[in-house]
Amino acid sequence: MVFWSLFKESVIFALQALIGNKLRSILSLLGITIGIFAVIMVFTIVDSLEQNLRKSVQSLGNDVVFIQKWPWTFGPNYPWWKYMNRPVPDYKELNYILDNCDGAQAAAFMVYASTTIKHQSSSIENVTVICASHQYDRVKNFEIADGRYFTDVESASGRPVAVIGDVLARVLFPNQSPLGQTIKVRGAKVMVIGVFKKEGESILGGSPDTQVLLPVNYARSLIDVNDEDLDPQIMVRAKDGITNDELISELTGLMRSRRRLNPLEEEDFALNQTSLISNQFDSLFDVVGIAGWIIGGFSILVGGFGIANIMFVSVKERTNIIGIQKSLGAKNYFILMQFLFESVFLSVIGGFIGLLIVYLLTLLAGDSMGMEIQLSKSNIILGFTISILIGVVSGFVPAYGASQLDPVEAIRSS
Amino acid sequence: MQSAAIKRPVLITIVCILGFIWIVFSFPGVFAPSLKKMGDWYPALFGILVATSFISYIGLWHMKQWGVRLFLLSFFVKESLLFLINDVNYVGIFFSIFFICSILPYYKRMDINL
Repeated sequence: MVFWSLFKESVIFALQALIGNKLRSILSLLGITIGIFAVIMVFTIVDSLEQNLRKSVQSLGNDVVFIQKWPWTFGPNYPWWKYMNRPVPDYKELNYILDNCDGAQAAAFMVYASTTIKHQSSSIENVTVICASHQYDRVKNFEIADGRYFTDVESASGRPVAVIGDVLARVLFPNQSPLGQTIKVRGAKVMVIGVFKKEGESILGGSPDTQVLLPVNYARSLIDVNDEDLDPQIMVRAKDGITNDELISELTGLMRSRRRLNPLEEEDFALNQTSLISNQFDSLFDVVGIAGWIIGGFSILVGGFGIANIMFVSVKERTNIIGIQKSLGAKNYFILMQFLFESVFLSVIGGFIGLLIVYLLTLLAGDSMGMEIQLSKSNIILGFTISILIGVVSGFVPAYGASQLDPVEAIRSS
Repeated sequence: MQSAAIKRPVLITIVCILGFIWIVFSFPGVFAPSLKKMGDWYPALFGILVATSFISYIGLWHMKQWGVRLFLLSFFVKESLLFLINDVNYVGIFFSIFFICSILPYYKRMDINL
């Protein structure tokens, strides 16, 4: 009970001191506000970018292997000259994989093209057209909000049908259903049979909201599906219980045999998986995180020196009051707690304002950037931890000095 | 009553100066990304340990017995935590034991008051 009454009394003393010197309190907490704002803002942006990126990578499929000409590894020693003469994967190789690969649950051949899509007087330029084989819906993660996917017959016979993105549907067919209507792709009429579910922006690009999906057997009449510029690729999804490594090992053997490579020859294809992208971004985020950590860490340290300075001034100013308190029976720890609470309060209020600014900025940035930026629970805990820590570390020396003052000398001081 | 100031041995001065330098450099470690990845509360826990170590060095600097006790407490808690997360730093343990061996002989000469 005695402890709590002393605790309460020291808190009240500290609050009175802070309210009594408003301008000084505000100026000294500014350092902490800026420091906390810098650190937590960097961490919030890095965390949000990482989260969005992982979501985008996951949408490509964690258990999907991409057979392509170019590998997804980058860096200063990228031997592009070795890759540039490789052949691109083709549709016959897809059939070979579908016939022979035991570890594959599904596989699809696809190419990307960019073109203008028209409907009556409306047109949209640079729309990504995905031309894919039938099992595309089993390899790629997407949902259809309205209508349906291609039937076996439509895919095999190459009927002029399309599934379009949500944004395209709203722009080309305002206030009407796009199903059963026709759009023009490279001058050819294609019937809309489905609309993708809205997914929003993707950090890697390629959101289905602005894409058109065509059966590859129809797309052959519009584009050269073996054109290297369209990045032909085969996507293979692993069966349940088959790891990506096992699938890659089987696909390597199949592709080598299909392309008749002798055992001493290097592979002329790349087997890519999403972990290659996420691993490369992991190292990038680590570097950004460490840079934010160093810059923010030292800016908070400077803020801490500001609080320590103000606390020394505060002790000096109230020396005779300390003397009176001690002569009236105040214990050393009471004086210590009083000044320590004052510095912790200053610091926590500064940190709270810093966190509030970060939160408001995340709301504004989230709306304008079209990307979800969130102030996470771990960053809030971190912000308050740093604030309390700075308050204790920077306030302890002045507070301890005040607690050790001789009451007689303290009262005499002017 | 104020206790008479006790002269601080050179060895403890060196230990304290090294300790303060360690605090300055380990402070930014509180928000190191690697620590954050371990869990939401690890930075807070590490922060408390850094603050405790700092306060214990202040106590040692003023030749107070509570400084030694706080130093020992923070050392054992820190090492237990590092042991639990399987991140034992033998160099850190060596330095801490060296510090403890340096300050313990002076324990009885230290002030018992706050």
